[in-house]
Amino acid sequence: MKNKFYSHIRIGLMILLLCGLNPSDVLAAETFTAFTAPDKIKYPDLKFRLLQAERIVLENGMVLFYLPDHELPLVSITALVRTGSLHDPQGKEGVAELTAAVMRTGGTTNVGSAEMDQRLDFLAASPSISMSLDSASVSFSFFKNDLDACLDLLSQMLRAPAFEEDKFQLALSLKSEELRRTADNPQKLAFREFNRLLYPDDPRGRYTTTASLNNIHRNDLIDFHREYFFPANMMLAVSGDISKEEAVNKIKQYFGNWNSTRNALDILPAPKQAGQGIFFIRKQLPQSTVVSGELTVSKNDPDFYAFSVLDFIIGSGGFPSRIFSAVRNNEGLAYSAGSFYRARSNYGVFGTYAFTKTSSTFQALHLINSILLDVETGSISQAELDWAKKSILDGFIFSFEQPGQIAVQQMTIAYEKLPDDYLSGYRKRIEAVTRSDLKRVAAKYLNEKRRLTLILGDTDQFGKLPKKWKQPVFISPQQ
Amino acid sequence: MLTQNRFCLLMTLLIIVCCTSLAQAIDLEKKVIKTKLANGLTILMLDRKFSPTVSLYIRHRVGAVDEVKGQSGAAHFLEHLMFKGTPTIGTKNYASEKKLLLQIEQIGRMLDNERMKQEKTDQKLVEKLTMRLKQLQSEHRRYYIPNEIDRLYTENGGLGMNASTGQDVTTYFVSLPANKIELWARIEADRLLHPVFREFYTERDVIMEERRQSIETNPDGKLYEAFMKTAYAVHPYGVPIIGLPQDLTYLNQPAIRHMHQKYLSPENMIIAVVGDIHTQKTFKMIDQYFGRIPKSHSQPTAIPAEPPQTQERKVEVLFDANPSMIIGYHKPTAPAAEDYVFDVLETILSKGRTSRLYSKLVLQMQIADSISVHNGMPATRYPNLFAISARPRHPHTNDELQTAIFQELENIKHDPVSDRELIQAKNQLKMDYMKSLDSNSELASILSYYELLLGDYRYFSNYISQIEKVTAVDIQAAAAKYLVAENRTIAVLNKKINNNPSAGKNEK
Repeated sequence: MKNKFYSHIRIGLMILLLCGLNPSDVLAAETFTAFTAPDKIKYPDLKFRLLQAERIVLENGMVLFYLPDHELPLVSITALVRTGSLHDPQGKEGVAELTAAVMRTGGTTNVGSAEMDQRLDFLAASPSISMSLDSASVSFSFFKNDLDACLDLLSQMLRAPAFEEDKFQLALSLKSEELRRTADNPQKLAFREFNRLLYPDDPRGRYTTTASLNNIHRNDLIDFHREYFFPANMMLAVSGDISKEEAVNKIKQYFGNWNSTRNALDILPAPKQAGQGIFFIRKQLPQSTVVSGELTVSKNDPDFYAFSVLDFIIGSGGFPSRIFSAVRNNEGLAYSAGSFYRARSNYGVFGTYAFTKTSSTFQALHLINSILLDVETGSISQAELDWAKKSILDGFIFSFEQPGQIAVQQMTIAYEKLPDDYLSGYRKRIEAVTRSDLKRVAAKYLNEKRRLTLILGDTDQFGKLPKKWKQPVFISPQQ
Repeated sequence: MLTQNRFCLLMTLLIIVCCTSLAQAIDLEKKVIKTKLANGLTILMLDRKFSPTVSLYIRHRVGAVDEVKGQSGAAHFLEHLMFKGTPTIGTKNYASEKKLLLQIEQIGRMLDNERMKQEKTDQKLVEKLTMRLKQLQSEHRRYYIPNEIDRLYTENGGLGMNASTGQDVTTYFVSLPANKIELWARIEADRLLHPVFREFYTERDVIMEERRQSIETNPDGKLYEAFMKTAYAVHPYGVPIIGLPQDLTYLNQPAIRHMHQKYLSPENMIIAVVGDIHTQKTFKMIDQYFGRIPKSHSQPTAIPAEPPQTQERKVEVLFDANPSMIIGYHKPTAPAAEDYVFDVLETILSKGRTSRLYSKLVLQMQIADSISVHNGMPATRYPNLFAISARPRHPHTNDELQTAIFQELENIKHDPVSDRELIQAKNQLKMDYMKSLDSNSELASILSYYELLLGDYRYFSNYISQIEKVTAVDIQAAAAKYLVAENRTIAVLNKKINNNPSAGKNEK
């Protein structure tokens, strides 16, 4: 195995994580009978280099990130495209996702779908093209000896998909089956509906239905592909057992003559308003799904760092976080409970969840809401803050475990148009968060009145509604 | 940095070797250091220097199969309780705390005993005991510092700290910055030797919620549980890991302590350390902490063998969900030669769009929504199953799907698979193998798994050369021998129509 520490990588930063004794000192003093207190263990120094991928821009505007990894004879390519299901035409929800699926499965102008599948399977290479809310991503890894064969097929898929009619029809039917089955999974159903309610009158809140699938034709996919898949609108990350020269030359060979004068699309504006109120979905199950949340700060906002720490303490920092401790450890009300914070470049979503037995539905929700109220009063202790910061900062090196991961991360930062010093400044900005910051952002961004709450479960058995509630709105999800 | 040039040269040589032969890309046998402590505990170490991190795995050859009948769920419950600390982790005053824990145990037992009487339960007494238990629990919280193990790991940069309980094996794992190995040794050796089972009754409620989440409200969980129960009439593989509701509800401390005793058996334990490590220092540190576990003379649990199946078994689950099914066939487990053959067959049947089952059922006949094949369900220590899971596409049914799947299996028996198919399957298995070599945690996981269950991690390093030997004739023979009606179990889930009043007012 190759020692990757000495490979040809541009060194970015060097950070000394912790100072402490030399390990041999600790070992020499070692004759104890009882264990040392874990907080008193002295650790050796750790040197950590923040590696950087190289950024290369092709003449046609396509941006490439490259970082080698010669450990295994594999090459992996990840791409991000500025598109997403929020670009689905109104009434034709599902076009974006179907476009991605049929680009992969519907053949190209040169290679039919059956031939494509045979070639890829024989190479043991399985590219995926997937569509999310605000991007499409392509992921492909293969044996380095198959570089040409694989890049050829990938470029055809991205540039010249044929959208064969029968594969389009099959993709439609499979999507329709997926819709039939969504309600089988209570969590999936609840989170889909939560999203719809959170973004009223916004493309982010629309989702595919049987009716919208009926409006989609093969031409819609062709149009969608033409609209969003062009060189300046995508970024590629290449890593693996390949030199920079070869990576650049090969990408040029297969994508360089893909010409388009169009510029990359802009990031869509943030949603104007968020849904709020209390909603119920009736489903006879012994466990309720309780989700609530609201819009909050973006990744580009200076409050992003304080809010990240706040979220960690409230419910995404594992067992010691507040929701987990209260709902799971103290009360035994749930196996899964916590918070989530998804920050995008111009807005963010913060939410909480718990899956609890029917009879404790309101109790769990009440506990969670009290925690959110409590943090607004400035109740977070210095010890909690220190724990959260240390955890976030010390765990940071795991974002740099593999070269492929680093290249993709840098591509994502560029995709989200974050400042160039985002990564190098991240530690410093988390470090600077204070208790008064936490109190301030909690008071500013958490608000029960603005909150959207959705509960799926055996609604007749929930018990008496909490006093201050208005009558919840029952919804029947569409298929 | 003086050695940089020399390393570059070495790298170049290695790359050339990699290109010429995939099998030599990573010669694990030359890199993995395998040693034993005096008490019999086996240590596997692999030095990988790319990032200053390390992944640490501890595996015990103790799982749900080792439970006493009537105490199902004990192995998994124990795993949850192992995160509650020790006399020196998680307490403000252990002496005072200990007395309270004893009282909590007593009251909790009385409460369980009363509830067990079912119709004859004295509700007043239950109320009284419940109150008393709550009181003691809140008193206990004054002495207890919850989640200390989690805090220590996360605060020191730990990632992916977790544990898992299987039928065969229980695993505790975490990744840490490479300079923090001692923290791991300190915590793990302590909780192994001196665990304190705090928050016992609330944790039991948490596991009941886990059961609701993963089985009672989940069609896949429901179907899987019924399938395993039917496929195994005698062997404990048929009992769910999380526990049967009737056992789980009343699981008590003695059952958990009994299970924990089985952990204290160094010869049934493996530690794997993969990452940026100094192997000698790491070994010394592990010895210091884990060397304290005394040698054990534990007798392996007597586990009844599953008698050969003589006729087809069927089970139907009714649930408010769309149809799905699992078909399974009994077969030998790894490292039997036939197990490798089934790995290849699994690939031929289900990996990629051109695989037999996917191309036939999803692409051509268009009667399936999805199909997957799993060789080695549910675990490895005992003979296991070759299982096929599938979901019909509306309006097609489980029956239609079943007929089509059987037909494909018959085709495998009647005509040898083509050379191209065989080469393709082997390419795909090689690719999967390569990808699994890419991370510290995956390597630590795989090496410790095979070392523990098959007695030798080299099962993994030799895997591809064994796969290379599999022939079309082997596949035909294994299919003819095992994929027969009397050796199979079919579990189907069909939709139950709920007569609930249609959703209420205020529709939106």
